[in-house]
Amino acid sequence: MSEAVKKDQPKVSVPTVTFSLDGQSVTVPKGTTVLQAAKDVGIHIPTFCWHPQLKSVGACRMCYVEVEKMPKLMVSCMLDAMDGMVVQTDSDQVRQGRKAVLEFILLNHPLDCPTCDKGGECDLQNLTFKHGVDDNRFDFKKARFKEESMTTTFDDKKIGPEIVLNRNRCILCYKCVRANKEAFGEYDLGAFERGNITQIDAVPGGEVCNPFSGNLVEICPVGALTNSDWRYKIRVWLTKTTPSLCNFNSSGSNIDFYKEDHQNKIFRVTSRTNDSIDDGWISDITRYGYQVINSADRLQKPLIKKDGKQVEVSWDEAINFIAKKYNDIKESVGRVCIGGLISPSLDNRSLYSFSKMIRTVCKSNNIDFRGDYRMLPNNPDSPFGVLRSQPFSIAEIDDSDVIVSFGSDLIHEHPNEYLRIRKAFNYTQPKIYSMMPYSVKSADVANIEYVYTPGTDETAINAICLAGIEENVVDASMATEYIKHVVPSTLKDASALCGLDEAELKILARSIAEGKKITFLVGEIVTRSKARDIITAALLNMNKLFGLSSKGQISILARYANSKGAEKLGILPDPIAPIKEALKNDFEEYPESEPRNTDGMMAHIRKEEIKGLFIVGSNPMMLYPDKEFIKESLDKLDFLVVCDLFETETTEAADVVLPLAGWAEYDGDYVNLEGVCQSAKQAVKPAGESKAAYEIVRLIAEKLEHKTFDVESIDKGVEACLAIDTTIKLPNEFLDIKAESEDVTGEFSHPIFIIDDAHHCGHLTEKAPSLNNFTAEAYLMMSEELAAKNNMQENDPVRVESEVSKLILPVKISESLDSDVLLIPRNFQSSPVTSLCMRKRRIDRVKISKVDE
Amino acid sequence: MHYSPVITNADIAAKDENLHLFQYVEDSKQCEIDTFVSRGGYKAWKKVLEGISREDLINTVKASGLRGRGGAGFPTGLKWSFVPKDSPKARYMVCNADESEPGTCKDRVLMERDPHAIIEGMAIGAYAIGCHLMFIYIRGEFDHCIDKMEAAMEEAYAKGHLGKNVYGSGYDLDMIVHTGGGAYICGEETALLNSIEGERGQSRMRPPFPAIEGLYASPTIVNNVESLAAVPHIINRGAEWYASIGTEKSKGSKLFSLSGHVNRPGNFEVPLGFNLKDMIYNPDYGGGMLGDVPLKGVIPGGASTPFLLPDMIDVALDYESLQEKDSMLGSGAIIVFNENTCIVWILKKLIHFFRHESCGKCTPCREGTAWLEQMINRIEAGQGEAGDLEKMEEVCGNILGRTICPLGDAAVMPIQSALRLYRDEWQYHIDHKKCMVKSNFEFK
Ligand SMILES: Cc1cc2nc3c(=O)[nH]c(=O)nc-3n(C[C@H](O)[C@H](O)[C@H](O)COP(=O)(O)O)c2cc1C
Ligand code: SF4
Ligand code: SF4
Ligand code: FES
Repeated sequence: MSEAVKKDQPKVSVPTVTFSLDGQSVTVPKGTTVLQAAKDVGIHIPTFCWHPQLKSVGACRMCYVEVEKMPKLMVSCMLDAMDGMVVQTDSDQVRQGRKAVLEFILLNHPLDCPTCDKGGECDLQNLTFKHGVDDNRFDFKKARFKEESMTTTFDDKKIGPEIVLNRNRCILCYKCVRANKEAFGEYDLGAFERGNITQIDAVPGGEVCNPFSGNLVEICPVGALTNSDWRYKIRVWLTKTTPSLCNFNSSGSNIDFYKEDHQNKIFRVTSRTNDSIDDGWISDITRYGYQVINSADRLQKPLIKKDGKQVEVSWDEAINFIAKKYNDIKESVGRVCIGGLISPSLDNRSLYSFSKMIRTVCKSNNIDFRGDYRMLPNNPDSPFGVLRSQPFSIAEIDDSDVIVSFGSDLIHEHPNEYLRIRKAFNYTQPKIYSMMPYSVKSADVANIEYVYTPGTDETAINAICLAGIEENVVDASMATEYIKHVVPSTLKDASALCGLDEAELKILARSIAEGKKITFLVGEIVTRSKARDIITAALLNMNKLFGLSSKGQISILARYANSKGAEKLGILPDPIAPIKEALKNDFEEYPESEPRNTDGMMAHIRKEEIKGLFIVGSNPMMLYPDKEFIKESLDKLDFLVVCDLFETETTEAADVVLPLAGWAEYDGDYVNLEGVCQSAKQAVKPAGESKAAYEIVRLIAEKLEHKTFDVESIDKGVEACLAIDTTIKLPNEFLDIKAESEDVTGEFSHPIFIIDDAHHCGHLTEKAPSLNNFTAEAYLMMSEELAAKNNMQENDPVRVESEVSKLILPVKISESLDSDVLLIPRNFQSSPVTSLCMRKRRIDRVKISKVDE
Repeated sequence: MHYSPVITNADIAAKDENLHLFQYVEDSKQCEIDTFVSRGGYKAWKKVLEGISREDLINTVKASGLRGRGGAGFPTGLKWSFVPKDSPKARYMVCNADESEPGTCKDRVLMERDPHAIIEGMAIGAYAIGCHLMFIYIRGEFDHCIDKMEAAMEEAYAKGHLGKNVYGSGYDLDMIVHTGGGAYICGEETALLNSIEGERGQSRMRPPFPAIEGLYASPTIVNNVESLAAVPHIINRGAEWYASIGTEKSKGSKLFSLSGHVNRPGNFEVPLGFNLKDMIYNPDYGGGMLGDVPLKGVIPGGASTPFLLPDMIDVALDYESLQEKDSMLGSGAIIVFNENTCIVWILKKLIHFFRHESCGKCTPCREGTAWLEQMINRIEAGQGEAGDLEKMEEVCGNILGRTICPLGDAAVMPIQSALRLYRDEWQYHIDHKKCMVKSNFEFK
């Protein structure tokens, strides 16, 4: 496994201070707190309200230290170390102070530890054990918060879909409220009342349902906040943890699975803090997504379609059947003509062995990992491929002074990166800009949010360049050259076309030109667009004009758990030369055949030039933005094998369905969007008879007499590929950009964008009950204004019609949207938004009407 | 007739050329801008804009010896000088008009009866620190003050004392009247800033001090109404004049709110150093004890200050003299109580207030005040137990100096003082399970 190369942080020499800590001389950078300095040298100072990622507030008073010449005890979490200070962390006075604080906290604490889920991992238990009170001087009845409706002695108050609050256990460290506001930018939780009846609660009439809400439970030092999914299920000391990774985002959030020896199921997930990736925060999808693994709906055994019905068979029978079909096709056509589509959420081993099977057993270059993007380019060095291959580092966000997010609904697509930008917003205050065809919540940290007309992405970028030229902040001769390549070529025309304000564009252009360290990240609006090559060409031009990549990073972010791995391992019809070289070295032979991506494969299936298809973990029937096209294509196949965790519309079309093991059920390595390879360990045994993809591939390949699919051989191939630098050189010349124009005529006038719901990702998470507790069905999201104009209210059923299909969806009114754009999540099988789409369209458009009209 | 018909000593102030805050407070026309201007109002503000440098201005206020009238007594000019000269951020001047300390009701009189004086003081303070947007944060329950201040602000804008390019000087100054969050703690300067920001009214740890990082993390000065109202007079009549009033170290005049068992409760402006006994018994001021019931004690500076026994009241009302008696000048609220008042009952009322007003942020204050209230209530109800007093002293010790803001200290200082000065009465409550004072007198 190749470890990520840690970029050398530029070491700026910071002034230091030296002081005495429990008799030890300690030197730390100026501005370090005494608490942090103590941590650094391994001296333990107890805390409740301190959190490494939050600004300290000094509320709990547990972290007292005694400082020579200071009359009072000082709280070390807010005390900067100063030269010559003499600090005691465990003097008599400190011990007395801590004890008094514990006494105060315990006065009215219910001490219901035996039935408290936090028991065993509770800061209050642990610190009382260590520093605690030896006498109970409080002879009053303990004060109790209790809802009137409650019949038990517990104050169990559901404050969100997955959070239960017990106010009696709360020690008012305010970490939950602070994290919610500071780290996540959410205001659905607050503190109410004053004095000793101060209490935490959801805001009146609301609930705590933000996409990061699970973290609040995790950072609560006591059992005041508990997760619905973990409550009263098991004592924590009976569980064991297994280190793993999130399978639903591309950063590879580090997590732990909790399981118990005697039951083959996962009990919960917590973060496994990795400051270079996640700072210890995980999204709710990362936290509750494990329930997919536990689901009772998991496929248990292989299925074969017999007389139009899928029936359970043994693995032997299924593999024999596949081998027979393979040979039938080969004999009847004279060549193999089989393709493969695999999910980029699978591990390296699975991806690589699949590619090896397609290329060496099926002897074709019909392979792709992108089953949900329309009209992809085939050539790896297209502008899109070039920009996609550029390096990106999450931690570099921290010290960027200009951050631009282009075409990304960050919270939904890249939650970790959003939190990282938010951290910068809180601490280093860089200039932040967001550019999108519709308004997004993540722009709450942006100095300026640019909302351009849908479908004018390349012009919006061109407009930044033209603004830079008008402002004279770019090289004059480059500017002259640039103008020759672009249409429109004046700022006035460009800004009119994309609907952005010239003065605001100039501010952005100036920031990019003047920024010392820039992070420019590009998201799914670009990746999913049919015009992705034109848009990225515009981005490459901008990069060249401003010399951006020489002073920062610009990259199209990978979206799925192992998209980057799939690219690096060559799971593409035509990998870049060095990867192809490595594959040629590793494979017994490398096919000469025409490279075909998802679109190409489907086209050739329709021409009956491809007869068979392997689909592993992908669900194009649900996710490819032209449902009819996929359906017609798959119907044409002679033979379809689908491996998945669940029955899906895609498995329904299959001749053979194979039960796939989930990421928690086997050891796997994944490459995150930074190119860092990380490992997820097996936590539980595979459900039923399901198997990891690489095992399935090996069974098939070996049946067909191909020997080198053993783990060792595969890992060797993976390692060789991962060692290769896949960054493609940026072009030297400006590229020609002519703005595409699309006439919007007729009744289908509302642009729609397919999104992932804030609590769902792809097609699997619908199987996680906790995530469904946040959102359980698709909706039509629109601006308040649009709803009012159409006389529509929250939850009203609305008919959404495109040229090809229609759906009925309930209205959801968004606070952030402000144009006539509509958003529909793609995560719900019962409402396939992709049926409204046509793959050849750049922007899908619909009309809407109230159902009762 | 004024909205709140509280007695003042405006008549004396009108005759004494050293008294300046209360001179016109019995004339309802003083609220009107024309009257205010005709009596020399906004003259100081104009003078400042016509050519006093920020530095000179701050030095003048420093030299006057003016100290904060909000309770802490911090030198006003010195505080202003802490605002960083080179900060690229906006600066803010905030007038603290949240007046909620039990017994204190002096700022209310100024707001109701001489609002322009406050605006003028705020404007000069704003200029001194380079602020272009100033706030006055008024206690939410003071509807009438809010109306008066808003009306005055509008007049000031209309007559060009506020707004863009004031008096053609190029200086812009805007003002916002902000209503309070309905809590005593919102008068504590950092909680006040949180409240203006739309956050919960909870105190912040210092450092950083507001002068460096206050409102919206920008340099901010918070000053009491009375402190700012004195500033125009200092500009008009000079630092030396102001410094000549009062005592060696406590300079200028001060408003005192006299309440409790006296014949003439009211608000009085006197030079600092005025005798407390005189304040209570002089017919021009308190006019003696109500019904001639003998004095039992005095709280000299607001609910949070330690008690004075009858034999301690021959004392000068200034910062130093009260400190010598282990008490404080505080906000200048003098609460007088007679022999028929139970000390435990007083403390019960006080701790109830502080427990209820604790912002709930830091553990010792939040939990400790509630525990103390339970213990004091029990003693007052005749159910105290042996050891309760010692336990209370320990709990007070675990709060004093261990909290984020001074409210924690404010809650325990009167308790500690009462336990020390009236020990026998507490003990009697516990030993005899009843009150030593025959009749309970209810404050009116
Ligand atoms: C609990 C608490 C309440 C306070 N309430 C007020 C108040 O109502 N008015 C006020 O001017 N100062 C109040 N203060 C003092 C302010 O924090 C601050 O010191 C003062 O406004 C500064 O103004 P000055 O320097 O002019 O006195 C309070 C302080 C505490 C600790
Ligand atoms: S609920 Fe938990 S995290 Fe929130 S304030 Fe209470 S103890 Fe702290
Ligand atoms: S001392 Fe009391 S009022 Fe002040 S911050 Fe602490 S809890 Fe809040
Ligand atoms: S950890 Fe320092 S006060 Fe809570």
